[in-house]
Amino acid sequence: MNSSRSLGLMLLTPAIVLVVLFFLVPVALTAVFSFTNMSTATGITGGAYQIGPSSLQRLGDKYGFPELAERLSQPSYVIDERGLVALDAAGVDASTITEMRTHLGEVFPTRREAERMIKGLSARPSTREVKQISEQFNRSLLDTRYESEGDLLAGLDALGVEVTPAERDAVAASSYSGWTWTTDNFRRMVSTPDTLRTLINTVFYVAIVLVLFNTGYAMFLAITTYYMPETTGGIFRSIWLLPRITPPVIYVLMWKWLAWDTGFISMFLGQFGVAPKNWMLDSSTNAWVFVILINGFVGASMGMPVFSSALRAIPKSQFYASEVDGASRWQQIRYIILPQMRWPILFVTCYQTLSLLASFDLILLSTEGGPGGATEVWSLMTYHTALNNYAGNLEYGYGTALSLVLVVIGVTLSLIYLRVFNYNALVAKPLIEQ
Amino acid sequence: MATQTQVSANFKSWPVILALAIVSLPLIVMYLYFFIDTITDSAPGSLIPNAITFRHWDFLWQARGNRPSIWPVALNTLVFATTVTIIVLLVSSTAGYVLSRLNVPGRGFFLAGVMVLHAFPSVTLIVAIFLVLQMVGLYNSLYGVILVKAALEMPLGIWLMKGFYDTVPWEIEMAGIADGASRFTVFRRLVLPQVRPALMALGLFAFLSSWSEYILPQVLAPGAKAQVLSVYLASLIADDNNFDLSLFKAVGVFYIIPVLILFLFFQKHLMNIYGGGSKG
Amino acid sequence: MTILRGLMRATALVAVTAALAGPALAKDVTISVWAGGTGPNDVYRVDAIDIAADILEREAAIRGEELNITVEKTTYPGWPDFKQALTLSAEAGNPPNIVVSGHEDIAPWAQSGLIVPVEDYVDLDAWPLSAIYPNLMQIASYSGSVYGIPQDAESRPFFFWRPSMLAIGYTDADLDALPQKIQDGTYTLANVLEDAKKMQDAGVVQPGYGFYPRPSNGPDYWQFYRSFGGTLEENGKLVFDKAAMTKFYQFFVDAVAAGVTKKNHIGMDDATWWADIGAGKAGIWHGGTWHYARYVNQEGMKDFFGNVQFSLIPAGDAEGKANTLTHPLVYLLTDNKDKDLIQIAADLITIASEPQINVLHAIKSAHLGISEEETTLALYSDNRWASEASQRLLPYATAMPNNANFGVYWDAMWAGLQASWTGTKTVDQAIADVETTLKSGLGDAIIIR
Repeated sequence: MNSSRSLGLMLLTPAIVLVVLFFLVPVALTAVFSFTNMSTATGITGGAYQIGPSSLQRLGDKYGFPELAERLSQPSYVIDERGLVALDAAGVDASTITEMRTHLGEVFPTRREAERMIKGLSARPSTREVKQISEQFNRSLLDTRYESEGDLLAGLDALGVEVTPAERDAVAASSYSGWTWTTDNFRRMVSTPDTLRTLINTVFYVAIVLVLFNTGYAMFLAITTYYMPETTGGIFRSIWLLPRITPPVIYVLMWKWLAWDTGFISMFLGQFGVAPKNWMLDSSTNAWVFVILINGFVGASMGMPVFSSALRAIPKSQFYASEVDGASRWQQIRYIILPQMRWPILFVTCYQTLSLLASFDLILLSTEGGPGGATEVWSLMTYHTALNNYAGNLEYGYGTALSLVLVVIGVTLSLIYLRVFNYNALVAKPLIEQ
Repeated sequence: MATQTQVSANFKSWPVILALAIVSLPLIVMYLYFFIDTITDSAPGSLIPNAITFRHWDFLWQARGNRPSIWPVALNTLVFATTVTIIVLLVSSTAGYVLSRLNVPGRGFFLAGVMVLHAFPSVTLIVAIFLVLQMVGLYNSLYGVILVKAALEMPLGIWLMKGFYDTVPWEIEMAGIADGASRFTVFRRLVLPQVRPALMALGLFAFLSSWSEYILPQVLAPGAKAQVLSVYLASLIADDNNFDLSLFKAVGVFYIIPVLILFLFFQKHLMNIYGGGSKG
Repeated sequence: MTILRGLMRATALVAVTAALAGPALAKDVTISVWAGGTGPNDVYRVDAIDIAADILEREAAIRGEELNITVEKTTYPGWPDFKQALTLSAEAGNPPNIVVSGHEDIAPWAQSGLIVPVEDYVDLDAWPLSAIYPNLMQIASYSGSVYGIPQDAESRPFFFWRPSMLAIGYTDADLDALPQKIQDGTYTLANVLEDAKKMQDAGVVQPGYGFYPRPSNGPDYWQFYRSFGGTLEENGKLVFDKAAMTKFYQFFVDAVAAGVTKKNHIGMDDATWWADIGAGKAGIWHGGTWHYARYVNQEGMKDFFGNVQFSLIPAGDAEGKANTLTHPLVYLLTDNKDKDLIQIAADLITIASEPQINVLHAIKSAHLGISEEETTLALYSDNRWASEASQRLLPYATAMPNNANFGVYWDAMWAGLQASWTGTKTVDQAIADVETTLKSGLGDAIIIR
């Protein structure tokens, strides 16, 4: 018992590690991040405290301290004792410090002007040294990046600005550059008009591909090849497996060649005087036809082998008996084949619903959700929102909130399937209890 | 079943063959021209090639523009697909055995978990997976993508292997135990050889699937050093400055040849695993 | 600039002083540079860093130091993949040292700490940086600091296919005077639709080709918003002017209704769009100055000036003005623990901005130069396109704002334009939806009026 248990755990460890790393942790992260406003601008790993135009705007508008915001927005460089001491501590040579002392009390409204003065020092400091010297005299918080709230507040104190505790908190909160917790993502999802359109697209896409191809057309292929001489049937089955084994990038390339304005359809119809055009992206209807065909052919490749092997499992005697009774082929399909296909059909439907919901590579490679977002489905919208868009504004928070919807659907459906297919039967007790 | 004769001697088969030939035509045309166009030139607006040429294949011996040469990319792809296959085989064959045969706590729960994961749409996790890779320091490295791809293929592997182990007679193991061998030795020496066809099929499946993978390397390892053929070809096509369909197709043929070879030789194995209802 | 960083700086200062005093040590550094939106004509964006590295190594040698710089160059033809790869590798703590991207990325990247102000490392009062057009430097600044060095200064003109214009009654003299009329506001976008329609009616261009705009998202579309009097930013706050946006959307809806632009124009294949224009199939269209290089080098347009007239984007109505948008790419420096490395990167982009080096990019890619003196170089002044485009367009160029929230606004604008253009929504509906999106996405960070 003990050895079997420890061996079992040992052999199971790699699988458990992978499951934790790439399934459990990501699911948890997805759930957590969907309640944040994380984006390119906030960063993922946490923020800093930086007073800049947008933080000052928040300080004025949201927290109601416009005077303080105005005060903080003034850049200034002051040559003072504190700075001179800091120069000494930084190891700047004494003659430079002495020369700087002659400028004591001077105030420069911008960094550039302060640096012009420093550059004129007789020691001829290099650009880098100028920067290092000027920094010691920066008496404004503007654009300084503080790693912690304490540093920021210390900077605020050093500035000599009189602030109330409420103002201190407001400065810290408004200047924080990192992400914060929020439930806005879900509010936004419901209130953004395009969410609904994408939802409708997704349901339409999954339903059509599933019914027409993954089950319907796949069944047609399985049955027709079943009624053929073995070799002919085998050839057709191989042809219809091609979409599945062809890497998606190549597979979509072939479709593009078919549909491009210099492609096959254009050239073929050109013989009949039809002007060439990009048939795939010409209109949203065209785009949908191609998206459905592209995914459908692959879908048929998925369902066909399942149905074929299920068909072969039907005892031949049933067919021979029916032929003796004079049954037509249609009657064989209707009364012998289809009733016995209930489980394979259910199986394919269940698994393919989830695959279709989640996979977007074929759409991404073919229409990219276009033209004009006509073929944008939920998973693609997630990808576009969180990872890939023209403005480069990667909204991880909103994107994970969108994918959380799919995660919830995925977990729910797979739990239901587990029930339907009664997998408990598979977990038979081991016979060797050692 | 290979000797299956026609089930319905009463009916002619040519109408179905004809019907199927017609619906298969688009696929046949696409694949046919896919190969023809790479070694021929056609006049603009014509579908009939007028010259044979190998210039579309010059990417094999010279790098195009400022793109890397194709060979390191092909090597990356090979390393990627092979490593994923090995990991999937190792992890699934051991975990599948445990779930089929060994009495570990929470066995039923784990198996149910694998079932859920097998059905689970894992692409939806891509944003979070990126974060995990970033935390463990494997973002933008082929190793990271290898681990992720192997993890995503694993539930299918475990499920499949468990099914095969279930068919291995208990007597073999009991005999081994009676001879004084440990459970692990029994597993390695006696049980594993019994499931060789399953390993073969799973290995093929995992290899083909990783050879084709596009989204994962594209998102998780976009750097030039970790480029694989799918990403290479996709970026070639996406770059509207170098529109050259014949070049795309030639690179595509280069990319698809290993797939077709495996397919031709091991079609039976593949049919088995696909027929078993893997979600792919 | 935190206390910690201040200390590190101080240490670095000591280290530098020590290094100068001590014996020269060989130093090998690798500087990586990534550029987005970079096609075959734009390679000098990264190649300029190569040239600069060579010069910097020689400078170091003269000072008695041995500096070996290896430049790793990566170019991306498009934008989304580039920005994805850059953002994610920065999050993973491994960004390239130098980034060439659009100036509008400065705000979000500065907020996240991805990039550091260039101003921390270079002397803006010294040549060549002091010579760069002040408005470009302004565009490369955010929150009072200069974050980037402008790398080019393209701008986005309207184009007219001369033969088609001649066919509907314009004379060559009329066409030569057209840019001035547009600048004065006497030829407006309404005239564009009229002329496009005339061309189609006359049969010189096919239906749907009269007005042939950019088929994909781009900064270009903000120009039309401006043409109708729209404002993008006021006192650091984004502005959504509903009236201007409505007229802008309506213009494209009208174009579709008149049949001069196709309803399904957006999303058409870019390569086809280029080829159509190169073949003279389009009547009036808009693009960027760098399109000249593409037309001439890739699309086989032999006689550009004989076939094409260019101008500002015409005003939409009396409330707007003729305008053009400049969308300079900028050299940006990413944050790095090794401040010496940032300094070297800063030195490299400074050298790369010297007129003699920058002009290579300005002319090869037909983007425009970044300084007055660059235009006096022979390579530049001998180039008709660069000289004429600089004169005609640059004085009127405006830019998109550097605002961390701009990406959301941009996405919403584009979604609304697409929806009304393709007829998925009415203009009013689209505007209402944009408003909802902006309110829920940005809250009070945008002024809606």
